Amino acid sequence: MTALLEVRNLSKQFTSAGGPFRKARAMHAVNDVSFDLPKGRVIGVVGESGCGKSTLARLILRLIEPSAGTLRFDGQDLRAKSPGEMRRLRARMQMVFQDPYSAIDPRYTIARAVLEPFKVQGQKPTQLPAEEVAALLSMVGLSPGLASSYPHQLSGGQKQRVGIARALALRPSLLVLDEPTASLDVSVQAQIISLLQQLRDELGLTFLFISHDLRLVRYFCDEILVMYLGRVVEALPDTDAAARHPYTATLRESTFAVDPKQRRVITPLEGEVPSPFDLPPGCAFADRCRHARAICRTDTPALVAHDGHAVACHNPL
Amino acid sequence: MTMLEVRDLEVAFGPIAPLSGVSFSLSKGETLGIVGESGSGKSLAAMSVLGLLPLSGGRITAGSIIFDGQELAGLPEPAYRKLRGGRIGLITQNPMTSLDPLQKIGPQVDAVAVLHLGMTSAQARARTVDILGTLRIPEPALICNRYPHQMSGGMKQRIVIAMALAADPDLLVADEPTTALDVTVQAQIIRLLDDLVKERDLALVLITHDMSVVAQTCDKVVVMYAGRVVERGTVTAIFDAPQHPYTQALIGCIPGAAGADEHLTSIPGTVPTVLNYPKGCPFHTRCAHMQPICTTDVPAFVSHNDSAAACHFAGDMK
Amino acid sequence: MTSTTGVASRAMAGFGKSALGRAFGSWLGKIAGGFLILLLLMAIFAPWITPFDYAAQDLMNGNTPPAWPHLLGTDRFGRDVLSRVIYGARTSLSVSATAIAISVSVGMTLGAAAGYFGGLFERVVMTVVDLTWSFPDILIALIFVAIIGPGLTSTMFAIAIAYLAQFTRLTRAQIVQLKRETFIEATINLGARPSHILLRHLLPNAIAPVIVVGMLAIGDGIVLEATLGFFGLGAQPPTPSWGAMMSSGTAQLFLSPWVIIFPGVVVAVTVVAVNLFGDELIRALDIRDRIRGA
Repeated sequence: MTALLEVRNLSKQFTSAGGPFRKARAMHAVNDVSFDLPKGRVIGVVGESGCGKSTLARLILRLIEPSAGTLRFDGQDLRAKSPGEMRRLRARMQMVFQDPYSAIDPRYTIARAVLEPFKVQGQKPTQLPAEEVAALLSMVGLSPGLASSYPHQLSGGQKQRVGIARALALRPSLLVLDEPTASLDVSVQAQIISLLQQLRDELGLTFLFISHDLRLVRYFCDEILVMYLGRVVEALPDTDAAARHPYTATLRESTFAVDPKQRRVITPLEGEVPSPFDLPPGCAFADRCRHARAICRTDTPALVAHDGHAVACHNPL
Repeated sequence: MTMLEVRDLEVAFGPIAPLSGVSFSLSKGETLGIVGESGSGKSLAAMSVLGLLPLSGGRITAGSIIFDGQELAGLPEPAYRKLRGGRIGLITQNPMTSLDPLQKIGPQVDAVAVLHLGMTSAQARARTVDILGTLRIPEPALICNRYPHQMSGGMKQRIVIAMALAADPDLLVADEPTTALDVTVQAQIIRLLDDLVKERDLALVLITHDMSVVAQTCDKVVVMYAGRVVERGTVTAIFDAPQHPYTQALIGCIPGAAGADEHLTSIPGTVPTVLNYPKGCPFHTRCAHMQPICTTDVPAFVSHNDSAAACHFAGDMK
Repeated sequence: MTSTTGVASRAMAGFGKSALGRAFGSWLGKIAGGFLILLLLMAIFAPWITPFDYAAQDLMNGNTPPAWPHLLGTDRFGRDVLSRVIYGARTSLSVSATAIAISVSVGMTLGAAAGYFGGLFERVVMTVVDLTWSFPDILIALIFVAIIGPGLTSTMFAIAIAYLAQFTRLTRAQIVQLKRETFIEATINLGARPSHILLRHLLPNAIAPVIVVGMLAIGDGIVLEATLGFFGLGAQPPTPSWGAMMSSGTAQLFLSPWVIIFPGVVVAVTVVAVNLFGDELIRALDIRDRIRGA
């Protein structure tokens, strides 16, 4: 299996300049992330707010410039591309955004929004524009009659379908999904997830799926990366693999079962995600970890694979 | 002992009736979940109980709300003000906007006991420290001198809960209390609310869109759709054998609910808004089992074990 | 929903007929808008509707009070006040509108570039623009008068520069806010060039509030034009200008008050009408928050 996307030691550091009234601060939004995304696979990136999962998505697409690391897409070094080359390459790597409400220009009709990818790439649709619009809208389960509507006339779920149609217009091979259902109603979430699954099978797409919802990631993905404060703390080779990192275990425990007979007396994780600014040395999770030892507060654990299951912990479960 | 009983509640904003025929009841030590999607009227039901409708121009046009034997529908605002924050506590969705950013935590919580229990500020502070302690907030006396912006989201939500508890309420209304929080923090807060209900013998109305939260915390469930109750019953009855197609779909569309590899149930179409609530059964526009009668007649409740569903064909389908 | 998108989608028809129609919907909008249209027609058709030549002197009939045939009386040279007020509308409106048009075009370009590119460029542009704001309008006018002499050109430049900062800041604020919208990120991710982002997405969404503020500024421009005219820095005789007319009327304030009152009333009513109609437009487009944000 060849990797469509190869991410190596990808890091992003945001710095806020100091001034007379404040110290300069550095934040490692994404820290030394490496993984391979093989063609046709779905990798889920899961973590809580501030773990860097959305930044990771934008680094991979070079919507944010990485501070360090390499990115290879289909064998090509993305970070070596000139702006012009990068613009053309974007046709092959697309993104679906979290907030469908602001993902379409409010002044654009749906038809114009769906044809915009062709316009910016200087491509002609293979069929007549009106036919192309109808085909794309039907592909995402929308009535072609919506072509002349404006975004504000559509529901959230419909807008997200338009977002997907726009992303797929140029037939990309990689689709980065940044919490595509987080701002939708649960019943609509299921529609969008089913649509994405169907499109993946029909078009042979490769997905990187960003989510805070472990249940959804387990359902939708083949592999899971668990992130905590900018680092991948565990890479589960399949969704049923037993958690080896204490954080992954807690995340699983905190996810409620949808069954009143399975009321677990969970021991919730104490404390909350610490500030990502100026992190202390050692494992970022040490302060909340029940199994933390002295070494956890001094040395940052490396992500070490064992039988394809990687975990960054001095004391894995 | 029944703490709250809502019967055939109907709410109108001018000519629009976003809520009709809403009934539920709950007793001390019980948690009632009101579950539904956006626009289902679940938050409006809570606002009606709290007498907050006039603020946004709504009014109760029919039905009654009986709280501990007292009729609340039509209660004048001054009387309501005594109840709200006093015997009825409120926990809102967004802790960031429920706290005054310019005031320290201590005085904000103290004010509730001073206002509703007539305590002196010293007594109130002692009580605040005590409550913060029971909410497992470390170093409560120190926290009192902090400002809201110095605290994390989960900690702020605990402060909001402390304010709701400060006047020793009998009824607590929590509107999506964990939606804005991370998963691990959500688990902490839900567990905390659960303990409070048991320890203090509270009646808790929990408004949520999340069936898993309902499954984990509630004793009774009211499922709302397009301004109406479509099913109500005990939590075990609702989850074991949901009778209404909407309830079934709401459980089925959560990944992993029906089993790890089972397909998601998705409901076609979109949630109706208050401006286009369907006639007849509100769910008929999205229901796979729709029959002609569903488009014209509002279904009556059909009981089944410990639940009742408003569906013309309840019990006939699985 | 983020405010900009919501607002923009409601103002989606943009600055089209529907918004103007809605502005005319209320009775205030009808009165104010009607007056402005009347004023505009008067300015355009001045040569055909004025009863007398605005410059024709009739020294025998100086300072006559309002009566037939001089409906608004005559000034001390016996010139017809009504004719001069009508021609004055031409001067005031054209000077103010041209100046604001220059100001809006330059301000939008600078503001859009500053907001889009950011960084050092933005800081330099905004500092320079803010500097123009810190000078009193009259002082700016005096500088132009000193360089190119008194007259309508100086007035025009003075007005254009006086309001430049407002349009630059407003446009920049819009662009900075719009840049954070998901649809901009989505379009960049489609591979769009900066020019496409700026011209097809940012500017069209930013334009409505700038146009409305521009329209409101025309009212202010009329006052500034009148002020400069009053001090003799603007329109030079015999060009009729409301400000200059009032200035010439001060000498006989008690003898023939109509010379100063009528142009004064027209300035006041025009400014009030512009503001009322502008308010109605803001309401119709639902952009109050965006204007305040600048």
